[in-house]
Parts: sequence; structure tokens; C-alpha cells
Amino acid sequence: MVARLLVAHGARQLTSSAVRRPASFFPSTCQRWQKASAQHRLFSVSAAVKAKQYTEDHEWIELSPDGKTCILGISDYAAKQLGDVVYIELPQLDMEISAGDAIGAVESVKSASDILTPIGGKVVDRNGVLEEKPGTVNRDPEGDGWIAKIEVEGKPEGKLMSKEEYTAFTEEV
Amino acid sequence: MAPSRGLYHVQHTSHRLIEGGRNMALARRAFTSFSEKVANPANRVQSYISRSNNPYLNLSIEDHILRTSPPDSAILFLYTNRPCVVIGRNQNPWLEVNLGILNAAKSGRAKDTEPPAIGNVDLVRRRSGGGTVFHDEGNVNWSITSPRAEFTRDKHAEMVVRALRKLGIARARVNERHDIVLDQGHVKRDCDSQDTHRTPYTIDDGAGPRPLKVSGSAYKLTRGRALHHGTTLLASPNLHIIPQYLHSPAKPFLKAKGVESFSSPVGNIGLRDEIFQKYLQEEFAAMYGAGGKQPTVEIVGEEYLNIPEIRRGYEELRTADWMFSQTPQFTLTNYPTNESASSNSHINQTLTTPVARFHMTIHHGVIKDCEIDGPQSSKDTHDRIRTQLLDRKLQDIQNWSDLLAHDGQAAHPEVTMIARWLAEIMPTPQLPKPDCIY
Repeated sequence: MVARLLVAHGARQLTSSAVRRPASFFPSTCQRWQKASAQHRLFSVSAAVKAKQYTEDHEWIELSPDGKTCILGISDYAAKQLGDVVYIELPQLDMEISAGDAIGAVESVKSASDILTPIGGKVVDRNGVLEEKPGTVNRDPEGDGWIAKIEVEGKPEGKLMSKEEYTAFTEEV
Repeated sequence: MAPSRGLYHVQHTSHRLIEGGRNMALARRAFTSFSEKVANPANRVQSYISRSNNPYLNLSIEDHILRTSPPDSAILFLYTNRPCVVIGRNQNPWLEVNLGILNAAKSGRAKDTEPPAIGNVDLVRRRSGGGTVFHDEGNVNWSITSPRAEFTRDKHAEMVVRALRKLGIARARVNERHDIVLDQGHVKRDCDSQDTHRTPYTIDDGAGPRPLKVSGSAYKLTRGRALHHGTTLLASPNLHIIPQYLHSPAKPFLKAKGVESFSSPVGNIGLRDEIFQKYLQEEFAAMYGAGGKQPTVEIVGEEYLNIPEIRRGYEELRTADWMFSQTPQFTLTNYPTNESASSNSHINQTLTTPVARFHMTIHHGVIKDCEIDGPQSSKDTHDRIRTQLLDRKLQDIQNWSDLLAHDGQAAHPEVTMIARWLAEIMPTPQLPKPDCIY
């Protein structure tokens, strides 16, 4: 249990560091990245992969710097659309998944919606906090409310969008 | 089935076979064209009605429509099921349903309270969210699949209210839970007749008789599509016994994650099926049809099980895994625990028989943790029972007494009491046997 919490906590930090970084911090962070990339070219490449990507189904994924794992969750937009989340069916640990699979489900206001994964692999962690506090998905869908961590196999399938592209996409819909 | 015997029939057997084959081929063409019709982008407004009363089939046809209909289409599907209890996707059947009386007629089991004599009642877990409902022949279900972008949780309930009001049901309105109720106020007040959320008989909470629920809503959302389905109690002959089906004897002892039902007093609207269906189809056409033009209403039925996707969905709904293993984690405890002392304070009153303390945690329908402790039975006995139960699927347990007995010998009286108590509150209902309609 302790180990799982630690992993969960680590994962949370990973996601929230990208999302919650206040705008004013960006210059200094960027400088740090630049310095790092000058020393380690490879690292800068993977750092670019790390940005959150969004699907048309309103999930997000964020790949780890080494590209071996990713965190998956549902977007701010989706969480707002769904209303009060009362239950989340989390994927089972070690479950083998393929891109396009439903790996869980969200229930809010009498509505069931599937959580789809755009990438295949194996589920290596799940956000146990959501079992006790499903409302975390409403409070912080792109940070504390992450759903699962996946050991990635292969490339993502389907259309993936950057934050800007996704925002434009949701405004269009 | 067998034709009456006689030379005449024998002589015509081959002819009959050919005829039968031709009919089958025609039927197959009809349901192949159903799949094509549903998915055809040109069919932006579609309307279907089922002549089957099989809840598993109707839910699977509905799911097929949700998965395959064009992104910008709106589809109405009407059906009536034989008596069944339908739980929401993330609900717990042991908590929501009085499982022991579902097969009452079949098994001939009579308890201290006489089970209702309406025969076998199916147990169904649907794919949409929400709470548990009872269906029978006096209940018409409507289902509307439409684009998710323009979808709101009230819009189709409002549509049904408009149809009901045209049929003279002036007390019908949509409530804050997206359900349809009939107001029970005695005094008529001025009210905007176009307002589907208020009637002349609406009264404030607690200021008079509670409105009666006549229709419940549930939803399933996918990428671009939203399915909204609802029940409509028109003339159920079973209103007085519905509560018996929806009160589980295990409830005081269970603590469950997932979705719990919200219980409401229910009533019948008092309309005939055909007239309600007709007005609903018209209202649907007024809402979605080009110039209010009604689409042709197609009839669907049992032969649609020959469509492989529908068959797959149908088989899945009927598995024990979908019915029971899909249940969110829960615990069963026969004593108040620190954690749940306040919510379980009524346990002491409810529980009179077992002396031993018993606790188990069930995840995905499997007993993951189990503790038993009695003042008179030995630790060996406790350990043995624990081993006996761990990792067992709750739905596979048909006989608690046999399971907890010791190598065929009578168990310790404390254990026997626990077994009897478990059999009483956690019975396993018979699931439908694999059928062979085709």
C-alpha cells in the first residue's frame, strides 16, 4: 500500500508539474531546459514528447521523458461536461491493453462514459485515490485526478492534439 | 412444434422445408438491412419499435444503434420488457435487489413473507448509469440516441412531457433528477403551460403530497453520441409489489462503492401503450424530423439476434461476469465497525441470530478478504473457513451451509448460524440459461 501510494504520488507530481506550472515561471523553466538540452541532446528530444496530448474522446496522455510509460486522464473540458463524478471504474493492474480499448468508465449524473486509451501496453498503476474520492476528477482532472499509468507498447493511434489544438477542437464542437 | 402426423404432411415435408428456407432467407435479408439502415448516413431521423419483450435483446439492439448510427442522426427506439429488475452499470445487485424472490415461482421457495406470484423475474445489468428500476408489460421504455454536442440531460424528458401533456396528463413535469413525475397538489395555480418543469399542481418540498415518479432516466455517452433512455409507467399491475423486489435483506450489512439508487414513490400514468407510443413518435418527429415529417416506424424483434454484433452484446449481458463481477468493491459485515459505526448503528437491531463476527471484502465479485471470529468456535475453524472462502466467486456459491460444513460433517453451531444468515441475505439467483432461439 505504501509503495503504491508513493508511486501514485510520484506520478501525480509528474503530471501536475506540467499542468500547474504558473505562466510566470515559464521563462526560468525554459532556460533550465535549454541548459539541459545543450548538455544532453537526447534529453531535449524526449522533453518535447513529454507535453500533454489530447484525444478527440477528451482523454489526455503524458509520456515520461524516456517515452516508456505514460499517464492517462480525462480533460478539464470532459470533466466539466460530465458533471459530478460519483464513481470511476479503474483499469485492473497488469491488464494488457490495445489502443482504442475502453480501460475504465466514469459515472456522473446517471451517465456512464467509457475511458478510452489512445495507446497500447500494460497498466502498471492506477489512481486508487479515485476509489474513495471520485470527485477528485472534477476538482483536478489533469493533475490529482489522473486515471492510470501505462507501460507503453507501440505508437499512439488516432488523432492526438496539443493543448492549443485541443482547445480549438472543443470550441468547435 | 411437430406437425400433426399423416400421409399428407409426410408428402409435403420437402416442400415445407423449401418454404421455410425461403422465409429464413427473407428474414435474414430483413435484419441485414436493419444494420445497413441504422448506419446509413442518409437516414438522419429513424424510428423503431420492438415486438420482443426480452430485456437482454432490447438493450443489445439499443446498444447496436448507439454504436453504429451516423454521427448527426437522431433515433427513437421503443420497447416493453417482460418483468425484470434492471440495475445501473455501476451498481451492486446484492444491495439493490431482493435476489431471493426473483426465481420464487420457479423454485417454489416460500418464505415468511409470501413471494409475489408474478413468476420469474429477470435480473439485468444495463450499460448506462443510474439506479435500479423494475420493468413489466405495463411499462413502455423509450430510448433516444442523438449527437452529444447538442445533448442535455433534460431535453428528451421534456419531449416526453410534451407528449404526455398533449394526451391530457397536465400534472406531468421533469424534476431536478431528470425524471418525470406527476404532481400531487390539490390546488390549481397559474403556471406557464409551456414550462415542462412546473405544472399548476407543483408544490414546494414538504408542503404537501410528494409527486409520484412515473419515468426514470439513464444515459450512456460515447465519443460523439448520447443515449438517453427512460421508463414510463403507463399501467403496471405490479406497483404494490415493486418495493419487495427492490429491498435487499443484505442492505444493513453492506458498504458499497459505486452508485446507490435513490428511492421514490411511483405511480401509473394510466394510458394505453399504443396511444402513448404514437404521441411519442410524433413528438420525436416534431423535434428532429425535417419539417416535423415522421420517419417510417420499423418493427424489430427476436430474429435480430442473428446480427452478430447484437448477438455478442446479448450474450455478454447474460453472463455471470457482467451481472456480478462488474460490481464495484463492497464489504459485508455483521457487526458495527469503527469506520462505519454511525452508518451501521441499526445493525444491532436488525441482526439477532449470528453470535460470531463475520466480515468479508468482495472485489470484482471475488471474496478478497474474509474474517470470522466466534467466542466458542476454535481458531482452526476460523482459519479453515477463511481458506474455504478466499478467492471464491460470490456468484458461484449456491449453498453456504455445504461450503462451510467441515468435511461433510456438521459445522460448529456458530458457523451454522453464519451460514444460515448468509444464505438468507446473499442468495445467488439463477441466471438465464443459454437459449437457442435460432
